[in-house]
Amino acid sequence: MYHYTEFDEAFVRERVAQFRAQVERRIDGSLTEDEFRPLRLMNGLYLQLHAYMLRVAIPYGTLNSRQMRQLALIADRWDKGYGHFTTRQNIQYNWPKLQDVPDMLDALADVGMHAIQTSGNTIRNVTADHFAGAAGDEIADPRPVAELIRQWSTDHPEFQFLPRKFKIAVTGSPNDRAVTKAHDIGLRMVRNEVGVGGFEVIVGGGLGRTPMIGEVIRDFLPQEDLLPYLEAIVSVYNLLGRRDNKYKARIKITVSETGIEEFRARVEDQFEQLRGEFGGADQELLARIEQSFAAPEFRTATFENFNAARLANPAFRAFTDTNLASHRAEGYCIVTVSLKAHGATPGDATSDQMRVLADLAETYGHDELRISHEQNVILPHVHKSDLPKVYATLREAGLATANVGLISDIIACPGMDYCALATARSIPIAQEIATRFDELKLEHEIGPLKIKISGCINACGHHHVGHIGILGLDRAGVENYQITLGGDHTETAVIGERAGPGFPADEIVPAIERLVGAYLENREDAGETFLAAYRRLGPDPFKAALYPEKETADAA
Amino acid sequence: MRPDGTLPSRVIDLNRCYAHHSAADVLKHALTDPQVGRTALVSSFGAESVVLLHMVAVANPATPILFLDTEMLFPETLDYQQSVAERLGLTDVRIIRPDPEEAAVRDPQGLLHRTDTDACCALRKTAPLHEALKGFDAWITGRKRYQGGRRTDLEFFEAELRVRIKINPLTHWAPGDVQEYMLNNRLPRHPLVAQGYPSIGCAPCTSKVAKGEDPRAGRWRGSEKEECGIHFVNGKVVRGPLPAPVEEPQKEDIMATEDTVIVTDTGFGPEDWAHGFATPNTLPATAGAALAVDLSPDADLSVLDGRLESIDMIRIDFPSFSDGRGFTLARRLRLKGFHGRLRAKGHVIADQYAMARRSGFDEVEIAAELARRQTEDQWLARANWKAHDYQARLRA
Amino acid sequence: MSRRPFTPKVVAANALLDGDAVWLTADDRWTRDMAEAELIEDEAVAEDRLIHALSQGHEVVGAYLVDAKATAEGPAPTHFREAFRTRGPSNYRHGKQADASRGL
Repeated sequence: MYHYTEFDEAFVRERVAQFRAQVERRIDGSLTEDEFRPLRLMNGLYLQLHAYMLRVAIPYGTLNSRQMRQLALIADRWDKGYGHFTTRQNIQYNWPKLQDVPDMLDALADVGMHAIQTSGNTIRNVTADHFAGAAGDEIADPRPVAELIRQWSTDHPEFQFLPRKFKIAVTGSPNDRAVTKAHDIGLRMVRNEVGVGGFEVIVGGGLGRTPMIGEVIRDFLPQEDLLPYLEAIVSVYNLLGRRDNKYKARIKITVSETGIEEFRARVEDQFEQLRGEFGGADQELLARIEQSFAAPEFRTATFENFNAARLANPAFRAFTDTNLASHRAEGYCIVTVSLKAHGATPGDATSDQMRVLADLAETYGHDELRISHEQNVILPHVHKSDLPKVYATLREAGLATANVGLISDIIACPGMDYCALATARSIPIAQEIATRFDELKLEHEIGPLKIKISGCINACGHHHVGHIGILGLDRAGVENYQITLGGDHTETAVIGERAGPGFPADEIVPAIERLVGAYLENREDAGETFLAAYRRLGPDPFKAALYPEKETADAA
Repeated sequence: MRPDGTLPSRVIDLNRCYAHHSAADVLKHALTDPQVGRTALVSSFGAESVVLLHMVAVANPATPILFLDTEMLFPETLDYQQSVAERLGLTDVRIIRPDPEEAAVRDPQGLLHRTDTDACCALRKTAPLHEALKGFDAWITGRKRYQGGRRTDLEFFEAELRVRIKINPLTHWAPGDVQEYMLNNRLPRHPLVAQGYPSIGCAPCTSKVAKGEDPRAGRWRGSEKEECGIHFVNGKVVRGPLPAPVEEPQKEDIMATEDTVIVTDTGFGPEDWAHGFATPNTLPATAGAALAVDLSPDADLSVLDGRLESIDMIRIDFPSFSDGRGFTLARRLRLKGFHGRLRAKGHVIADQYAMARRSGFDEVEIAAELARRQTEDQWLARANWKAHDYQARLRA
Repeated sequence: MSRRPFTPKVVAANALLDGDAVWLTADDRWTRDMAEAELIEDEAVAEDRLIHALSQGHEVVGAYLVDAKATAEGPAPTHFREAFRTRGPSNYRHGKQADASRGL
């Protein structure tokens, strides 16, 4: 794992000191709110419905046990004893007081973390595949590159006042778990025909008001050209992006209005200018970063106890069926710890749970933890022989829910329970759906199904790429929920289609039940997932289930 | 040409057609779309009016502008109306006044507002506007969704009483957008805004509220109007003497002047360039004399190709601190090999000084007003711009 | 000028130091209990009170006018968003609902 150098440490301390002075100037009146707002946003501090909110970056979703314990300590000391993990690999604290924030930032700096550029019209926290460095299907670990991009984008003087926010994601696996096609820039690590490593560069994807799947701007970019090429893209966007309408300001609109050919030509032109500016120091730094991400020393051991426990304990068996992913090392597995206990708030963890996870990572997980964009916590390197003990500990902490990838593993943004931009609540809808399908005891029968809920058009809950997406809106002063179908967030990314008119809050759970009923009725066999059935059958049988009255009316 | 179709159906079609357009686009199209018809802009020439006036002037300066002179306006508003119309080149400003006979009967003293504001509004605003709009199929307003609670449903086009279309180009704008638009387009502000009037209507019903002042001083109250220093001469409102302005601390140094301030790593200094500024279009044909060039943030740098060697200084405009194009322009000029002086001018804040320097600027030119607000120590605090520079390490 | 009929309003904001929802009272205090707020029935007064609120940047952030209705207890929200602001989130008993149960 990467550890802060003296340079990183000095930079972050300097930023905290600056922010401490800015908070003082705000409170004593020398800074107005208008002047202070961009400064606090640059440091991750938002104002929400009931309180401030501090968004802390977890770069490429990677944490060690010490950092996780510090997040727990911050939650206890300055918040209400919990934190909320987000779809962009951040953690949010919902109740900080303005004067405490500089102390919270110092506490983060103590463990090599910060909240810089988690807001504002700048390059945001760089995200990566949450199985990085562990996945069996991985070509290369994307985290060294993500760390390089973090350093390059941090405090980049040209790019602090872009037309709009800018998000970069990196994946090192052909199976895209980082949603690279829905980012301003998506980087897929690939090898060319002679085996040299580089990137496929995707530009102009994004969800929000105008969802778009990104386009390939360069199908093979040599590794050493990465930073000048990124700089060229963002530089072209900075000049060309629209500043007259914030709904048209993201790079996806710039690319679609300019045309990918013309946009590419401008980027390549600028890239030629910038290429010579990077004299190799970036590649030397990358090599040093790569060393710090060297794989742990995996042990070789037998795991009969794992198989025995599976036979003896059906709950353990269910957990291992859903929450494990294949690891590159023999005998190891990747454990996804669900933060989606039925009826709980998606993505929330108490400080006690955080400490349990830290302990498990330290004892059984080579001291590594990951946060996924699906709002779960991952123990990336667990030997199967340790799994029964890990499971028992998770179970005691209320963290052993066996539902990863199932209907109750719902992504949900904070919605109008917290967010000032929201038009409706998301959390209660997620809670009700999960509770209902737990009562029905159907979720294992239903199999893989991704429900994603956003509380407004900005789509923090990724509803467009949910197999079932739910968008909360305000319709004439009442919460109303619109359903989209057939979305896909993976390497075969698709934007879901709107099913029809929305549903009031008390009708949304029955609507989802009808939808799932239609799937179970129409699927070829248990092996055909919801998404596969939707692709085969088209929307009609699902719409008919959602809107039964309409069908009756049509038939009459 | 008169539009066809019923009004509600036209409105539905128009909203569908322009659903994803920007304010300026909606306005431009509305002024030419036969489905809209004859269109006027109704403007109070108040605190924010200049935004729509500017958009209309860009789209078609001959658009009829209906300016409602209630005869109760501040003299500053009347002056501002004339100067804005002239500056924007608006050729058809129609001044709408109350019917003189009606006014003579119903409000002979000009004091109706004290006893019945609604009746005053009806006489001086509603009736004249209704009359003036008779010849039009549509009118443009500045209403926005965020105003007046959560009016999330306000569309670009609305059917008004089934007789006329109301066009709301700014409906999607957020609270800061008006200010940003005014900054970006350098539009003149209503003179009373600077004096503490965030919104400006008729004089008797508008007053400013300053920090520390009795908050009720600004409220409309019949009894309080006796004391507010407003009286009438020939039917026009004349404002009494303003409260003494807040005293500016007088300093002997540069800050006392209204000259611009040049910020460098050593702090504030005076302007030292005495040779004027050319634009890319007015570059002298031959090199020779001292030459400085002004660039706007949307400048195309290729017009300077081959000329960079002969230019002593390039000055790039920052219309708003949130517009970061100037940083990229500076960096590109340096990449193209420009070695002369590079200056950022306009709305750059102290917290951006390090960004400006790292992007390639040598100095920042700010207005005296900004220099008073963001004092020299705040700029000097960022003079250590070479420290903690990630990008410099990566490019070595 | 023709406009939509005015509906009663309160001035709402967030407290500068802790971000809590607050409302403006008739005697120029910022209260954490919406029922104590001033219910404004007149449009000119509403604008005026908002202007006053916007000058209170040393105490509050982001003042705005929001619809409210009169009840026996005092002004109450008419829209669910403002109703949430009087209680707190629905997933935990945090915010005002917790303060109320502690008798604050």
